[in-house]
Amino acid sequence: MECGPDVPVRASDRPRRHSMSRRSPILWLVIAASGICGAASAAHGQQGDNAVQQPAMVPASVPASAPAASDSNVGTAGATASPAPAAAAPASATRSAGTAHASSAASPAVRERESLLIEGEKRFGTNCGRCHQSPHHFPPRMMATVVRHMRVRATITDEDMRLILLYMTQ
Amino acid sequence: MRRTSTRSVIYGWLRVFAVIATLLAAPLARCQSTSADQDPSTDTTADSAYETIRPVPIFSAGVAYNSFFDGGVDNVHPLVSPVTLIPFGQNWLIESRETFEINLAPVPGESGYHGALQKEVDYLQLDYIANSHMTVTVGRFLTPFGVFNERLYPVWIRDLQTDPLILPIATGPSGAGTGAMVRGGFDLTSKVEINYATYFSTLSTDTPLDSERMAGMRAGIFLTGPRLEFGGSFQHLLQGDRSNAFGFHAAWQPRSLPLDLRAEYARADTGSGYWVESAYKLSQIPVWRDELRHVQVVGRMQQYFTGVVPDDDLPAVNTRLFEFGLNYYFYDDLRIVSSYGRQFAPEGGNMNIWNVGLTYRFVLPIGHGDIQ
Repeated sequence: MECGPDVPVRASDRPRRHSMSRRSPILWLVIAASGICGAASAAHGQQGDNAVQQPAMVPASVPASAPAASDSNVGTAGATASPAPAAAAPASATRSAGTAHASSAASPAVRERESLLIEGEKRFGTNCGRCHQSPHHFPPRMMATVVRHMRVRATITDEDMRLILLYMTQ
Repeated sequence: MRRTSTRSVIYGWLRVFAVIATLLAAPLARCQSTSADQDPSTDTTADSAYETIRPVPIFSAGVAYNSFFDGGVDNVHPLVSPVTLIPFGQNWLIESRETFEINLAPVPGESGYHGALQKEVDYLQLDYIANSHMTVTVGRFLTPFGVFNERLYPVWIRDLQTDPLILPIATGPSGAGTGAMVRGGFDLTSKVEINYATYFSTLSTDTPLDSERMAGMRAGIFLTGPRLEFGGSFQHLLQGDRSNAFGFHAAWQPRSLPLDLRAEYARADTGSGYWVESAYKLSQIPVWRDELRHVQVVGRMQQYFTGVVPDDDLPAVNTRLFEFGLNYYFYDDLRIVSSYGRQFAPEGGNMNIWNVGLTYRFVLPIGHGDIQ
């Protein structure tokens, strides 16, 4: 009753229709606000991604159904010296849950990625352990610098460098 | 009537705005999801991971605090060796390492320990990765003669804190050269890798940047299957007596054992010698695994023979040195090191060498990597 004329006081289809008609400004306002919020959040998210990586640097050959192991550390690696497993774990859990059905469709890509990761692990163990103890994982952007440094310092091959970087940043 | 009309107009605009906002949100959301799909770490190819992840400048340092007892004389040896790495572009890297160390020793008639700070620029070089087989370096660089000077010298890497006796052979007064270098590595087959380095260094007499005028090369073969590497080095001095120096190196890490075997041989007019080192981690011992997997046992044998040209950095007499070390790794970059060595020099110089110390290495990013 406190809602006034919007609430029908008796069971009838006409007042109900009338009530809906009178409620429509609020309904449309809610829809508009939802649309604005959705658009704003999408634009904000895209802007954040653009700040992290240059779109021009992303190769066009990336498959749209690539395994969804997106690493949120890529964007914030420079701000922290240590990986954040607590933050990464829920993200990876969400990723795996959200894309579990897609992995079967992209199984060749998954298999390719897994084989590359295995090869990267092998190269990592073969090369890095030759001189020093195998280091822990650094954030991806630090790891990119480290492998470039080690390519010069230890004369590891170009292929070794790329595979080790792939392995160490996944 | 007017009120109704105004309201209907407002309602109409709200509908239009809602429809536009909803239509706008869909493609933006799609763009966002596409952008997330194109995250570099989701890519399946190693090439794209390398090309899309922007490297960040890094500051790192190796720190050591060692106590040596050489022939009964106590020496305290703190050392800090900062490393700076500044990548830019896809193929460029500026890297530098300096060493600050003090050898503190008791002075007769005075109390406490005394020593002077020694500073050295180990390398300060600009690297350009020209292609997958070649990197061009200019500036001050570690002399690529053997593998110890370039790869095993940092205090947090070396298994024994004492230098090999033959280290000064052909590496110059400071272990570095000032000039240009071309180096690289490539796959000969799927199981064989080749690495090489050729260099030219000019004469420099500035104390922190001293180097000799020399040219040389090093080449190595790495068999990835058995993890066996061997190679050789050659150097020609372009000043003084214009002498030659050559050496060989080998390293083996068998897959079935946590064992490192390394050896080097070097020969020059100033002297010759070799060292053989083995380091074994006790991770396969079936008892106390949690503790023993952090323990490393090290042994090294080396021998030095004097040459026809005296060198202040080398022993004055023929010398043999046996060393045994025990290291405990808290982490991969924090450890306690200890060793005992017995030096045999019949012409003078028999003594025991004890060492206890702590080594540490840290790595920090500099800024946000926006240099690109």
